[in-house]
Amino acid sequence: MERITYTATIERIVEHDVDTRSLFLRLPAKTAFTFTPGQFISVAIPLPNENRVRPYTIASSPGDDGPLEIVLDLVPGGAGSEYLFARTVGDRLNFTGPFGLFTLERPPDIETIFAAEATAIAPIRPMLHRALAQPSTVPLKLFHAARTRKELLYADEFQATARRYANFSYEPILAQPPAGWSGRSGTVMEHIRALFVDGDARRDRAFYLCGVGNGVIELRDLLRKAGYPRRAVQYERW
Amino acid sequence: MARLRVIFESGEPERVIEFSPSQAPFQHDGRPGSILDVLLGHGVPLEHACGGNCACTTCHVIVKQGFDKLSEAEEREEDMLDRAPGLTPTSRLGCQAVIEDDDAEIVIVVPRYTINQQVADSRS
Ligand SMILES: Cc1cc2nc3c(=O)[nH]c(=O)nc-3n(C[C@H](O)[C@H](O)[C@H](O)COP(=O)(O)OP(=O)(O)OC[C@H]3O[C@@H](n4cnc5c(N)ncnc54)[C@H](O)[C@@H]3O)c2cc1C
Ligand code: FES
Repeated sequence: MERITYTATIERIVEHDVDTRSLFLRLPAKTAFTFTPGQFISVAIPLPNENRVRPYTIASSPGDDGPLEIVLDLVPGGAGSEYLFARTVGDRLNFTGPFGLFTLERPPDIETIFAAEATAIAPIRPMLHRALAQPSTVPLKLFHAARTRKELLYADEFQATARRYANFSYEPILAQPPAGWSGRSGTVMEHIRALFVDGDARRDRAFYLCGVGNGVIELRDLLRKAGYPRRAVQYERW
Repeated sequence: MARLRVIFESGEPERVIEFSPSQAPFQHDGRPGSILDVLLGHGVPLEHACGGNCACTTCHVIVKQGFDKLSEAEEREEDMLDRAPGLTPTSRLGCQAVIEDDDAEIVIVVPRYTINQQVADSRS
């Protein structure tokens, strides 16, 4: 018994910002690879003296015919992200997977709040796609927080989705918004607290939270302590 | 010196590691001084698909001896373990369970299968 190692070719690279890009990974024809929205692949990072693995979330949706998309940040001094940023179109990557339990398999039947910071929108994007796969009146709300407009990845796509689906709303949040910004400002924590903790006594909502570092854990604690059931608060900390 | 004995359910020969917890970390992944850190740092493989970030359960181990010598599991680890197949009362995530005690005698079993793995008889 052996874990399957997949080898994909980098077909396309899209720069979102100086330190954020998407890699589109093409698997050989007829490769069977399936995943659940929210899952990640474990990418082999061959370094001069050792082999590491680093997890990268699949930002595209299962069933998309195209290549798998991963979207990543360059982390200064980070061997894994530096290795991936040094790849060019035509290079190959080895990975195993999919892995991860931060997933959304079927359209939710209670109001669902998605909250992510910057690149950590990656798992939420295919989750939303799945959540909207069937006509529904269940409210779905996306809070996407970032420092700059460029970090609000896929903003056009989410805006278009919000126009198309009456039950979906898109709430971009900028920490320090420029003049003329019509979205929210501040932190995701402030807005979640005001709307869903202090805002009413309802606790029949589900949450999907993703971000780098401890902010996600603080958000989890806020919601669980406020009385949301443990399983209603799903999260992934990068 | 602490001792960590590793039994592999897959039948690979068992390994015994002697180490000083105060010298952690032994490599990059997982919490410093965690079972994963000790194993990888001593050339003993343990799968860690999420890079030791408490996001996958592929580093699930069953603690046979020395459970109380390990750091207490945080909520994050409990949330993950809840969904690990083959969960036992003494299950831990190798990347999160830190061996703190200098004279700890720990015995762990690495189970054969964990969650979300795609295992096949041959490469596709
Ligand atoms: C389940 C899971 C899914 C992930 N999916 C993605 C993904 O889709 N895209 C992605 O860019 N990263 C993702 N990450 C993070 C990624 O795996 C690596 O941690 C990151 O690329 C840094 O690795 P490194 O080897 O370059 O640096 P390391 O030396 O390993 O540095 C790790 C440090 O970088 C911080 N870090 C991790 N991710 C970021 C980030 N995006 N921006 C800034 N700092 C970060 C970590 O908190 C940690 O302190 C994911 C992590 C997990 C646990
Ligand atoms: S390595 Fe993924 S949970 Fe421990």
